Amino acid sequence: MLKSSKHVFWEALLITVVVFFFGLLIGIAYEGSRLDEVNQYYAVSEISLMDAFVLGSNTDLGNVSCSALIDSNIKFADRIYEEARILEQYEAAGKVTDSLKLAHKKYDLMRTFLWANSIRTLEKCGNDFDVIVYAYEYETRDLAKKATQNVWSKILYDLKQERGESIILIPIAVDSNLASLDSLLDGFNITQFPVVIINNKIVLSEVTSVSELENYLDK
Amino acid sequence: MDTLTVVFLVYTFLAFYLLFLFCLIYVQNKSRMYEIPLVTKQYALSIVVPCYNAEKQIGETIQTLLNSDYKGLKKIIVVDDCSTDNSYKIAKKFEKKHPGLVLVVQTPKNTGRAAGSKNYGARFVKTDLIGFTDDDSRPKPNAIRGMIGFFDDSTVGAVTSRILVLNREKFIARLQAIEYKVIAFTRKLLGFVGAIYVTNGPLSIYRKTAFDKVHGFDIKNLTEDIEITWHMVAEGYKVHMALSSSVYSIVPDNAKAWFRQRIRWNVGGMQTINKYKMAFLKVGMLGSFILPFFVLSWVLGIIGLAVLVYRIGRIFIIRYLSTKLSIETQTAILTLREINLTPSILLFFGVVLFILGFVFTLLALAYSREKEFKNHGIFSILMYTFVYLLVYPVLLIVSLWEFIRGKQSW
Repeated sequence: MLKSSKHVFWEALLITVVVFFFGLLIGIAYEGSRLDEVNQYYAVSEISLMDAFVLGSNTDLGNVSCSALIDSNIKFADRIYEEARILEQYEAAGKVTDSLKLAHKKYDLMRTFLWANSIRTLEKCGNDFDVIVYAYEYETRDLAKKATQNVWSKILYDLKQERGESIILIPIAVDSNLASLDSLLDGFNITQFPVVIINNKIVLSEVTSVSELENYLDK
Repeated sequence: MDTLTVVFLVYTFLAFYLLFLFCLIYVQNKSRMYEIPLVTKQYALSIVVPCYNAEKQIGETIQTLLNSDYKGLKKIIVVDDCSTDNSYKIAKKFEKKHPGLVLVVQTPKNTGRAAGSKNYGARFVKTDLIGFTDDDSRPKPNAIRGMIGFFDDSTVGAVTSRILVLNREKFIARLQAIEYKVIAFTRKLLGFVGAIYVTNGPLSIYRKTAFDKVHGFDIKNLTEDIEITWHMVAEGYKVHMALSSSVYSIVPDNAKAWFRQRIRWNVGGMQTINKYKMAFLKVGMLGSFILPFFVLSWVLGIIGLAVLVYRIGRIFIIRYLSTKLSIETQTAILTLREINLTPSILLFFGVVLFILGFVFTLLALAYSREKEFKNHGIFSILMYTFVYLLVYPVLLIVSLWEFIRGKQSW
């Protein structure tokens, strides 16, 4: 007569636990490797930021031209804009660990620093370039807000493609709990996000087409 | 880790567990898949055929039973449940032609379901074993003989067979042909651990004393074949499956009939769970595996569907609102930049699970090759995997609703 083995239930459980455990370990290691990659980017960007900052200080001493300073700010902004995209893709795929959230916050801080630096540069060097700050909510659950942010991102990307190196585009997550960022935003009396702040003067809360944005820039 | 990720990981863990369980049982028993105990005793057997409006099939069903090579088959009892067609007359012709072997009886009034006519037919059975065949089923000549040897073990209460699909002209029937083979393969594996949860209607044989002990089929249950199996297991009887014993059956070949059949199966299953819920984690294999396995399979299906609907629903709403805004602002609706191809650990788990599941399906099909039919095409197998199986959770939701509403009719 046929025999049955009830041990198989425990054996299957053991195999599942082992496979699952190793799967999770691989997942954690994989996500960890992405964090290392982001940290590498960050380290290089941090140097660029310091470089731009020192350049700004040198301008005060009259050693550096405005065009060099603007160029430095724009290159730095473009660099961290692209890195932010990579970071967001990694974050969307990161499921097991939350380590990339800290990296995101560090980038937000860096972008806040860039914004502050850009304000100073604007004051010093006039209107040869435009600063566009895109303030959005990173962890919103509101679907309408997510859709709006999605469209804003595309519009600003298109604008950047059209205007190229005459724009410093700074997307910043406002829910990063950064005191420096909050203090900068306080001056604009913003009640809800997302918003786009043009040259620290105009605040747009309604989604606007690229051509309309260009009109604002050309004013 | 967000809630959805935790749900997904729990879901994946359980799915992996069931898959590994089946793989392990297979590996440990692969040389015994077609093993059948020798027939050492010619147990006297009666086969009851419940029949209702089956004038097109009943003759052939009786004939295939007559063609059986099992010498202990003493009686074929056709129970006509007050058919309104010529079923009774056709069956009566066989009775005249095979007096003493074929007996045709009629229920006093239509019982409304197979369980009623099966129990009615059981009253006329005086043999050691009692078997049942649906009026549209065709057991192979050697099918019954392959099941008898299991009864040498006095603790065996029932033996079931493998159902194969007879009508394969329509695509939906071809998908069911694949499904039935996978089910048969899985059921055989469950048999190795004493966890068979259903003895099918097309051909199952019961020890008469066990059948009487559980008072036959539960006429209130829409799936009396599931209920009787659980009842027997709860009573301590073993249930086996003979993979080499095949019975051809006619399956629904249109979506509406298929849908109704599946709802009935699921509602019946829910009725059975409800009836035996107190056995949960208590009564032997029924409480420790069959009942949890049944419940778990359904919970997994429903959770899977819920997660999928939630995710797709959110994406759809965001996409709709984005599109509306994009049109208003004359921006591209979709750009390549939005496509994120960065793989996640969840995707990795999902892919591995899918591949293992697909290999399991192919293995089940490899174990069920038939001389009578061509092998299944890759298109059918893919459709079965990607489309057909995805409908299961939807059926579960509808069935749950029907169960709550108290569906009782076929």
